[in-house]
Amino acid sequence: MTQGGDPLLRVRGLSKTFPGLKALDDVSLEVGSGEIVALVGQNGSGKSTLVKVLAGVHQPDPGAEIELGEDGRAGLHFIHQDLGLVGQLSTIENLDLGRRLGRGALMPAPVREEARRAEELVEGFGARIDVRAPVERLSAAERAIVAIARALDGWEHDRNVLVLDEPTASLHGDEVDRLFVAVRRVAERGAGVIFISHRLDEVIEIADRVVCLRDGRLIADVPRGGYDHDDLVELIAGEALVAAEEAATPRDRGGPVLRAKGIRAPTIASMDLELRAGEILGVSGVLGSGREEVAASIFGSGQGTVEALEVDGKAVGELDPRRAIAAGVAYVPGDRHREGAVMKMTVRENMTLPRLRPLRRMMGRLDRKEERREVDRWIERVAVRPAEPERALELFSGGNQQKVVLAKWLRNEPRALLMDEPTQGVDVGAKAGIFELIANAAAAGAGVLVCSSDAKELALICDRVLVMRDGEVVAEVARGTQLSEAGLVRAGLGAVSKNGNGQHGGTPAGDGAEVSRHA
Amino acid sequence: MPEKVLRALSFRNISALWIFAAMFIVFAIWVPDTFLEWNTWKALFDSQAVTAILAVGLVIALSAGAFDLAIGTELGLGAIFVAWLMVDKGMGVVPAIVLTLIAGALIGLGNGLLVTKVRIDSFIATLGVSSVLLALIAWVSSSQQIVGVGSSLEKLGTTEIFGLTLPVYLMLAIGAGVWYVLERTPLGRRVYATGGNIEAARLAGVRVAAVVVCSLVACAAIASFAGLLVTANLGTGDPTIGPAYLLPAFSAAFLGSTQFRGGRFNVWGTIVAVYVLATGVKGLQLAGAPIWIPDLFNGVALLLAVGLAKFEATATRAGAVRRLLRMDRRRGGGAGAGGPAAAPAE
Repeated sequence: MTQGGDPLLRVRGLSKTFPGLKALDDVSLEVGSGEIVALVGQNGSGKSTLVKVLAGVHQPDPGAEIELGEDGRAGLHFIHQDLGLVGQLSTIENLDLGRRLGRGALMPAPVREEARRAEELVEGFGARIDVRAPVERLSAAERAIVAIARALDGWEHDRNVLVLDEPTASLHGDEVDRLFVAVRRVAERGAGVIFISHRLDEVIEIADRVVCLRDGRLIADVPRGGYDHDDLVELIAGEALVAAEEAATPRDRGGPVLRAKGIRAPTIASMDLELRAGEILGVSGVLGSGREEVAASIFGSGQGTVEALEVDGKAVGELDPRRAIAAGVAYVPGDRHREGAVMKMTVRENMTLPRLRPLRRMMGRLDRKEERREVDRWIERVAVRPAEPERALELFSGGNQQKVVLAKWLRNEPRALLMDEPTQGVDVGAKAGIFELIANAAAAGAGVLVCSSDAKELALICDRVLVMRDGEVVAEVARGTQLSEAGLVRAGLGAVSKNGNGQHGGTPAGDGAEVSRHA
Repeated sequence: MPEKVLRALSFRNISALWIFAAMFIVFAIWVPDTFLEWNTWKALFDSQAVTAILAVGLVIALSAGAFDLAIGTELGLGAIFVAWLMVDKGMGVVPAIVLTLIAGALIGLGNGLLVTKVRIDSFIATLGVSSVLLALIAWVSSSQQIVGVGSSLEKLGTTEIFGLTLPVYLMLAIGAGVWYVLERTPLGRRVYATGGNIEAARLAGVRVAAVVVCSLVACAAIASFAGLLVTANLGTGDPTIGPAYLLPAFSAAFLGSTQFRGGRFNVWGTIVAVYVLATGVKGLQLAGAPIWIPDLFNGVALLLAVGLAKFEATATRAGAVRRLLRMDRRRGGGAGAGGPAAAPAE
């Protein structure tokens, strides 16, 4: 089955069960010497669990066999998206990290010799890099190559497996080509490569074989040539479920509550957005599509800018969180610990933080009795468990933390509620509760914007979903016109060509039939 | 209710008071004649009032998440500046005091702008400012004591009410004021939120830059006031006193943060910590300990306080997780008994 040489990695009957979830179900996989295997699948399909099991982060369920080479001497090396380089150090220094230098720790390093060695090493992957410059000044592709060079530099022999986890998410056009040259060199040396990516055109270009996961099961293992772009989309997205249970009653939609024109951010080329009262609008897209920066840009807290923002018909001037809040916008960030809440403070203190003014009495005193009463009501309403307002937020489960964050914003009665990954780190039970809160907020007349990498969740709760790819909205799907998980995934994976121009011809665009093109 | 009382009295919540009690007993037995003398305690209260005021000022900055390493030299500058205004410039006591406070506030403003506008880490910014202030003190005073500040200012430092000098009462008043703002007003809530997670506070609409600047201004103004009291007490502007106050203030603020409020910097915990530390030092001195004991004691206390706080934080979290797991297991077991999922696999 392997088209390359002898197998370096052989996995048989691998399952992984988490409480209440079978993340991997009887997965078998082989990677041979000199072979590049692409691992594809949408969010939650089990890709990252598989990588973590291979890396030893998770223990597989009993009964799994993982064999590394016939003699058991092959190694596995992982390069994650963040690459693990030290930005301020040069290429030479990064290559030397974790390697024993010849002359002992306190002897001066043989500078010239090292520079020459580093250059040779990097040139081996088809790159010419200033090896003395701090790696943070290199391009993203060059950094990826340095990371690969470092991983391979430590190998005693070449018969190892290199796992690249979304290495191209931050790369563009010809940068990808440079990285691919390096990846092919790795394979030519006799190593095996597992390549994980959302970008199907890249997968088609580089992979000798594609392995597809869906719902924890390995559903396809196809050699090169046995698939085209559309086939892959079909494999990843699954059966075209006929318009997931038509939401019986599309909510009454009012006029627009929020209009944003010319949203621009590092990953967003340009985008307009209109959010209507009482609707739940989704934003879908793979990592790097720009989806992650939409909400933060509108709220004025990210790197993005908005040309003109109107809330309830009134223009909001220069954007910052304070002005946005005053105008009636609320924002639930995706990273709860870093941005969403003050984890060391209590539930009560977190809930009232954005709006303390109504609780202010004489001499600036805070009316704590009233505050407690109000917080108790909200705890009741959003069902925080345990219902202990005086407990530090960090001591709650993810789901309950998220409910507190939601309550803190709902208490503001926002006109527009913006959310990034609302169910990240939230257990299955609390998910339903959070969906209900979102629906209630919309029913109460707020416009809700949900940006999520989870297409299933968007298909479930949204009235309308914008699909983003490469920094632009490429499709708009409304409930009633076949809003489904598969449809969203398909639209998000998109057309064949890498840059949007230079169509490769061959494969017809796969998304036209399913979704209406965005005007 | 009794459980609540027990928790309030627990070692974890008020360890400093228990340590105080233990030290009191030990020294009362060891050096009874001097340790149990009222004059010893009066001197202790009077001499530590300034440290306590300084530490309370520091609590404001630390609560907002900003380190003020210049706090010692801010005190030193306040001490020398007020003497300079009165002796060299012949100013009256009231304008001299007002100008000294303004000078302190301006230094704080400088600190704040360096941290928020220039975006220098507060640790580094105030370290640099501290050195600048040392130079300023030496320049203003020519590194000489400024003697003869006059009785009007001295009164502020030496007047006695009910056997204790005025600074003790000023300390309590400032403590009460800062406590009120930090714990009872929306502003205080925003200060703690900024110190707890500046990014989350900003996204909740808190003007975090303003909070940091104001905290550093208040901190420096209080420090210069403390310096002014030192001069009032000595009757002399001394250019060398500032830096020695830095460590006791930090020790007290960090030890204080482990008291009463479960890891949060707070006023009363800090004031208690000042006196507990001072009692230990005093007792050791009375028992004939060498001169380097205060430095050792303060340093070790700071390390212990911060170390214990870290340990406690992880212990609390681990405890909560364990409780959750236990709850889960119980619930899981209960539900499983009747459900089909109960059948163990194979």
